[in-house]
Amino acid sequence: MAESAFSSNDPQLATSVSAYAVPLESILCTEELHSRPTRPPDYEKENRALVKLVSALADSPSTIFHTLAETIQDITRCDSAGLSLLTKDGKTPHVDGQRFYWPAICGMWNPHVGGGTPRNFGPCGDVLDQNRTLLFTHFERRYPYLMPVSPAAEECLLVPFYVNGKAVGTIWGIMHSDRRKFDAEDDRVMASLGKFASSAYQAWMHIEELKVEVAEREKAEAEVRELAKGLEAKIRRLVEANVVGIMMFNLDGAITEANAAFLHMVQFDREDLASGRVRWADLTPAEWRGRDERALVEIKATGTVQPYEKEYLRKDGIRVPVMVGGALFEGSQSEGVAFALDLTQQKSAQERLEEARRALYTIQAELARVARVTTMGELAASIAHEVNQPLTAITNNGSACLRLLANRKLDPEVLKSALQEIVADGTRASAVITRIRGFLKKAPTEMCELDINDIIREVLTLAGHELQKNQLLLECQLSGALPRVRADRVQLQQVLLNLVMNGVEAMNGAPNRTLSLESRTDESGNVLVAVRDSGTGLGSEVDRLFTPFFTTKTNGMGMGLPISRSLIESHGGRLWATANSPHGAVFSFTLPAAGECNL
Amino acid sequence: MTAARAIPTAPLVVVIDDDPSIRSSLKFLLSTVGLQAATFDSADGFLHTNFPDVPSCLVLDVRLPGLSGLDFQRELAARNICIPIIFLTGHGDIPMSVRAMKAGAIEFLTKPFRDQDLLDAVRVALDRDRKRREQETQMADFRHRFDSLTHREQEVVSMVVAGMLNKQIAAELGTAENTVKVHRSRAMEKMHAQSVAELVKMIDKLEASVEP
Repeated sequence: MAESAFSSNDPQLATSVSAYAVPLESILCTEELHSRPTRPPDYEKENRALVKLVSALADSPSTIFHTLAETIQDITRCDSAGLSLLTKDGKTPHVDGQRFYWPAICGMWNPHVGGGTPRNFGPCGDVLDQNRTLLFTHFERRYPYLMPVSPAAEECLLVPFYVNGKAVGTIWGIMHSDRRKFDAEDDRVMASLGKFASSAYQAWMHIEELKVEVAEREKAEAEVRELAKGLEAKIRRLVEANVVGIMMFNLDGAITEANAAFLHMVQFDREDLASGRVRWADLTPAEWRGRDERALVEIKATGTVQPYEKEYLRKDGIRVPVMVGGALFEGSQSEGVAFALDLTQQKSAQERLEEARRALYTIQAELARVARVTTMGELAASIAHEVNQPLTAITNNGSACLRLLANRKLDPEVLKSALQEIVADGTRASAVITRIRGFLKKAPTEMCELDINDIIREVLTLAGHELQKNQLLLECQLSGALPRVRADRVQLQQVLLNLVMNGVEAMNGAPNRTLSLESRTDESGNVLVAVRDSGTGLGSEVDRLFTPFFTTKTNGMGMGLPISRSLIESHGGRLWATANSPHGAVFSFTLPAAGECNL
Repeated sequence: MTAARAIPTAPLVVVIDDDPSIRSSLKFLLSTVGLQAATFDSADGFLHTNFPDVPSCLVLDVRLPGLSGLDFQRELAARNICIPIIFLTGHGDIPMSVRAMKAGAIEFLTKPFRDQDLLDAVRVALDRDRKRREQETQMADFRHRFDSLTHREQEVVSMVVAGMLNKQIAAELGTAENTVKVHRSRAMEKMHAQSVAELVKMIDKLEASVEP
């Protein structure tokens, strides 16, 4: 079928080189145009036609090619007239410029509208190559491709036209019989119409380009609309799910929209919201306004505000802890959306935990005090001795003075020196009492920065008599360059005293009794204290040492080591036991250097 | 008593306590009754000091650094140093006081003590030491006199003390009764004995001191 041949888009065919049947010159008769008798120009008709064309271009540019073809047929009085345009598709090079197609045909070939030929399979290719108007006669002799097209072309006048110097197509007229031959007048008119074709083509191209542009824009907009529709649904889901409070606000302090969760959180209702009574500025208690101010600065500078904790005042005046965060709408300087999360549950859980921790501390402190009382009980004999010594001296001096007084032999100088001794011994006795009372007092934990060596010295004073009584050798290796530790003085004294007393007890009856105390920094920069004894050692009991109520002493409570360990751990440290060499035990504890300890 | 032995008679109280307040206050208290005191902070100091040959006693803290009070008491006995001891203790420790008293302590005082109790104990201790010293002196005298007797005189004295008559002694020794009488009267003279009863007492004491 003829149509199928013309409308073929077969790339194989399109790109194959045309095997022209006869040379171009043999089918041309262009020169004859000027030798044939010619009709006079009909300028009036020509002008009307051009005006009609121009107004058609303005009114209905989409059909301009058809109007042009009609005009050609009308003015040249030919049998068929039309346009051939080179295919133009910037995206596919094997199509671009490879074919001619026929956008408009009038007359007998009108049924072939929309068809076309590969570039080198018809006369248009030769016209563009020659770059001039050509008159063909029976061109099917050279272009077998057009052989089946009927009715056959007796004569065909083709005029190329250009845009910006580049050939884009041809206009043509065909005589299917020899009733009339094209003449010079046709040549002139066709040249004129060729120029119009160029303009029309450009206008049409612009329109096509615009159409493409519009289509692309519409497609993009449709996509955005589609996306927005999906997003909106998702956002609506978030808002309506009421898992977090969500509200729209402006920077003036108003809340313009809010979900049920938000309203419930602050105990307002829809009516309040509608009347503008719900204002975030008013929901904020005075002491949180400063924090809000900072958030405002942040949101103005960056468009968003990172979540932060604050409180809202509910309608009934009760405070509710919340976490809020938000963002300004894109392109807006004053309006945005924010979320608010009710932290009441978390806060109360946190408070309960805090309370439990405080209670634990109180119990631990009380237990520690009981242990101190116990330790003091064990030290009672030593304490009695320490108090008795100055008391005895005071009694002696006092009695001596009374005797001299009774005998009237009292020299004021002697009296003075005796009284001085009495005062000094009284002070000494009271210092012992103060020290013990300080150790036993029921006071809350008091953290301050301490030199651990001071604590060691204080404990050696407390236990000094006990050490002496047991006739043991005391060795101290205290590092002079220790960082300070942050700790409760009494609790540290307690731990050390406990370890020292354990050491003394462990060496009861041992042949070589040496108690050594060491202070230094460990590999991690912590302060380490070690108490070594040369006693019986830990044996198989090492695992149970820190178990409450485990004791090897006849009158021990079995709480000393567990309490000591818990005290050290509450200071962020560690307490452990190892074997001493060649015999005995080492009890060590560490404490973080002050400044690194997070309590 | 001879004049030569009477010169350094002012007694001396030796105080050993590691607490300087106790040492100083005790020295002061003792001074009020006219007693001299030498003080030491440890037993060691005492052992390395030469004391004048005067009536003395020790006031000793039970708990001393180094050698304990009771160990020190034993040490003194081992060295045959007979000085009366008054123990001071910080707290009433009955088993310890029993041990101390059995080992010959004069008194065991709990700090703080009444001044009178200490001074009484010191007085008792010094008296005992004085007496012991007098006895030792007397014993040495008796021994010296006894040693100045001839062998025959010593034999005669032994038999007289044993209650034998002159005639029996003469028979025992195979000599004349008159000869026994001469030995006897010479021995009585050398021993400064006024009567046989006095001689018997002297010899008894000498024999008692020889026994362990």
